[in-house]
Amino acid sequence: MKRRSIIAATAVGAISALLISACSSSSSSSGSSTTPTTGAVAFNAGISNVVNPSSTKGGTLTFDVRGTPDSFDPGNTYYAWVLDFDHLFTMPLFGYKSCPGSCGEQLVPDLATSMGTTSDNGLTYTVNIQPDVKFENGTVVTSQDVKYAIERTYDRSVMANGPTYYQALLTDPTYPGPYKDRSKNLMGLTAIDTPNATTLVFHLQSAFPDLPYVLAFPNTAPVLPSADTGSNYQLHPLSTGPYMFKSYALNKQLVMVDNPNWNPATDPNAKQLATQIIVNMNVNQADIDNNLIAGNADIDAYGAGVGPAAQARILGSSSLKADADNPINGFGRFVYINTKVAPLTNLHCREAVEFAANKTTMQTAWGGPVAGGEIASTIDPPNIVGYKSFDYYNALSQPAGDITAAKQQLALCGQPNGFTTNMAYRSDNPQETAEATALQASLGAVGIKLTLKGFPSGPYYTNFAGDPAYVHAHDIGLAGGGWGADWPDGYGFLDELLNGNAIAATGNTNISEINDPVINNLFAQSSKVSGATRTAIWSQIDEAAMKDAVILPAVYQKVLLYRNPAVTNVYVQSYYGMYNYAVMGVSS
Amino acid sequence: MIYFIIRRLIMTVFLLLLVSLITFAIFFLVPRLAGQTTYQLAAQYVGRNPIPSEIKAVEVKLGLNAPLYLQYGRYIKGIVAGIHYNNGPDVSYCPFPCFGYSFRNQQPVWPQLISDAPVTLSIAAGAAVLWLIGGVSIGVLSALRRGSFFDRLSMGVALAGVSLPVFFTGLIALELFSYKWPIFPNVHYVGITTDPLLWARNLVLPWITLAFLYAALYARLTRAGMLETMGEDYIRTARAKGLAERKVVVKHGLRAALTPIVTIFGLDLGLLLGGAILTETTFSFPGLGQFTILAIQNQDLPEIMGVVMIASFFVVIANMIVDILYAVVDPRVRF
Repeated sequence: MKRRSIIAATAVGAISALLISACSSSSSSSGSSTTPTTGAVAFNAGISNVVNPSSTKGGTLTFDVRGTPDSFDPGNTYYAWVLDFDHLFTMPLFGYKSCPGSCGEQLVPDLATSMGTTSDNGLTYTVNIQPDVKFENGTVVTSQDVKYAIERTYDRSVMANGPTYYQALLTDPTYPGPYKDRSKNLMGLTAIDTPNATTLVFHLQSAFPDLPYVLAFPNTAPVLPSADTGSNYQLHPLSTGPYMFKSYALNKQLVMVDNPNWNPATDPNAKQLATQIIVNMNVNQADIDNNLIAGNADIDAYGAGVGPAAQARILGSSSLKADADNPINGFGRFVYINTKVAPLTNLHCREAVEFAANKTTMQTAWGGPVAGGEIASTIDPPNIVGYKSFDYYNALSQPAGDITAAKQQLALCGQPNGFTTNMAYRSDNPQETAEATALQASLGAVGIKLTLKGFPSGPYYTNFAGDPAYVHAHDIGLAGGGWGADWPDGYGFLDELLNGNAIAATGNTNISEINDPVINNLFAQSSKVSGATRTAIWSQIDEAAMKDAVILPAVYQKVLLYRNPAVTNVYVQSYYGMYNYAVMGVSS
Repeated sequence: MIYFIIRRLIMTVFLLLLVSLITFAIFFLVPRLAGQTTYQLAAQYVGRNPIPSEIKAVEVKLGLNAPLYLQYGRYIKGIVAGIHYNNGPDVSYCPFPCFGYSFRNQQPVWPQLISDAPVTLSIAAGAAVLWLIGGVSIGVLSALRRGSFFDRLSMGVALAGVSLPVFFTGLIALELFSYKWPIFPNVHYVGITTDPLLWARNLVLPWITLAFLYAALYARLTRAGMLETMGEDYIRTARAKGLAERKVVVKHGLRAALTPIVTIFGLDLGLLLGGAILTETTFSFPGLGQFTILAIQNQDLPEIMGVVMIASFFVVIANMIVDILYAVVDPRVRF
């Protein structure tokens, strides 16, 4: 739902922003489960099989990562790779089943004993936690520790990075957090009750069927109040997972070792195979790729794929290619079309943009079919529950652009010779820059003159593309961007993009500023139904938004991941669209 | 001499204050003049979809809502006397010299600078030794064998060295000597106290890469200086007096030619100590250069301020040392 726009831009360029969710090419429901299989080492073997299965203990597993984490504090992170990585030292209430293929989209209990129960017309949600899980210091985890972990996310002056669902979903939205409210033994949040040491009762403002997905974020991993050091907690979060921090030089290197108080029986979604884990941070992409191929590093933790030089090298060598995977990672790249900036206030003008855009050159801008992704004709990527394939603007049948249809729409829009508008894009993102240039060329063919306005990634969503006042004042009709769901269903992907309620004065995520009563009503309905009826709503919203022509889809993003042949138990976890870091080992 | 040094030290402090004022104005005043509000600035550091009260809370926590002169005063006070900052459950103290509190990392800036400085120091010091010895030696030999094959070859290589950027030579060096022929495999920074041998081994390529650039420059400068000096009358006189050629070259020729080299060396080393940005980025060494890049990418103003102040400090100190050395060589500049 909320943007996982992981900022992470490196000076060298490469793919910016975050990665999230799933990779499977199927549109299976989250409830489905396929049997994990093991297979030979081969290209794409890690998408649906466990590569190099092993239960051998030993060795050092080395991760390299470009950039730095937003935070290793489980309550203060939104970066996709950190969400994946956190499972090595945390146990949230729920998690995604550790298995390859669509099986990995299935939500399962982690610290919790079951998926919980809903009562009171969906306004109360009760979940129990395992009674025998311990922190690394031997203290038994209680429900109060989970409540405290959630409480601390309310203080945005300290926990600025993580998601903010609790304030929006739970009662007591103005709770200031335990740092400001020291009353009631730090248990001041009235929206969560802890009647005993293993039970949590959540009180919701209104029914929200996706709450278990929210509780799968690492911010539900327990935090012992006496061990909470606030902004310094990121330097040594108290582990409940298989590994614990041995040393962490902020933004440089993390070393983790076995957590002696971790019990594998309580945490089936993680393994403790390597004896040591090292994360080298701020390594440039070329170095990472060379280190992986040379065997100096095991996995690129960022999960956004290898750089251009390594892509050519890997795809050109059958032996290297056998150690690579090319999954769809659940991230959509597209261009927002603003419905409040003239002449794009007119539906036909927006449709002209949809038809005229050359999707092939946009795909090339994002890196081509392997490193960029598949040409998209919908907003939802294929691995989102509720995805339905359709192609209203001939993106798949005429990927170079449907000039005839575009000109017809221009005529209907009253601008037969085209019009002028501005496009915002992140100028420090080479792919998005190339996309803007490609779009400028293809729209120019039908007389739509695009003036490109580049902005830095950092304040892009706060001060420029995500600031409606700025957008209106500067006639920014189009804006480049991307999106990944916080969880793999239609609500998780579409709500922040298309719900009229999501329009905000700053950090706006509904950049098209679409406030369509039909779509808003569909979102409202979705919280009252479940199962297939609910799933069907997601495709209805996607279709309605595409008929409104408020988003120009570019690609369903794919990445080329490389796994060091020494890594064992390696596969792509569908939800993250990157390797599952919690189960890996390494052969000596 | 002592008064001269005291005067220079006082001037150094004023210069650093001026640098801090200008830097502060660039990063805090200019955005305001361009129309950016402190509210918008705070919005960058409060994650996705913040509500206004959250942004206000961050604005207050980072002190952005205070008048600029107060913010500057607080900044200087932090450097001189340290600051207290709210880390959530407690208030922590960042002692002298505290360069503020990182907006992004939610950590004081100074400890981060200190932890990065040894990396940059390791790169700069080793490379400086290499380029000084290599550059000056080649320059002297080239001057003494002017027009020879060695002179032409070394100056040709020097021209290439000056022309090729570090990120190019560094990548070539890595590709050849780390990956193709793994003489220096898995190059990454290791602390000298952790493993001195590995520290040195992993620094060889960054040293050579950086030294190649500077040695080329110094070779050309030394050659030009030596050619000029060796043509002076006093050199002819020294030779006429029957001094050994080695003494003529080293004691009379090189000594005079080195004066401008020492000046430039001081400045170059000072600049590098503030962050060997390209070298650190190419080899992924977590020094002040990488810190600078990250700070700029994250628009983390206190970190940017901190790294600018550190870099300025090194340059100013290097300048001061050069001035003092000049005063030793030529007492007239003391007055």
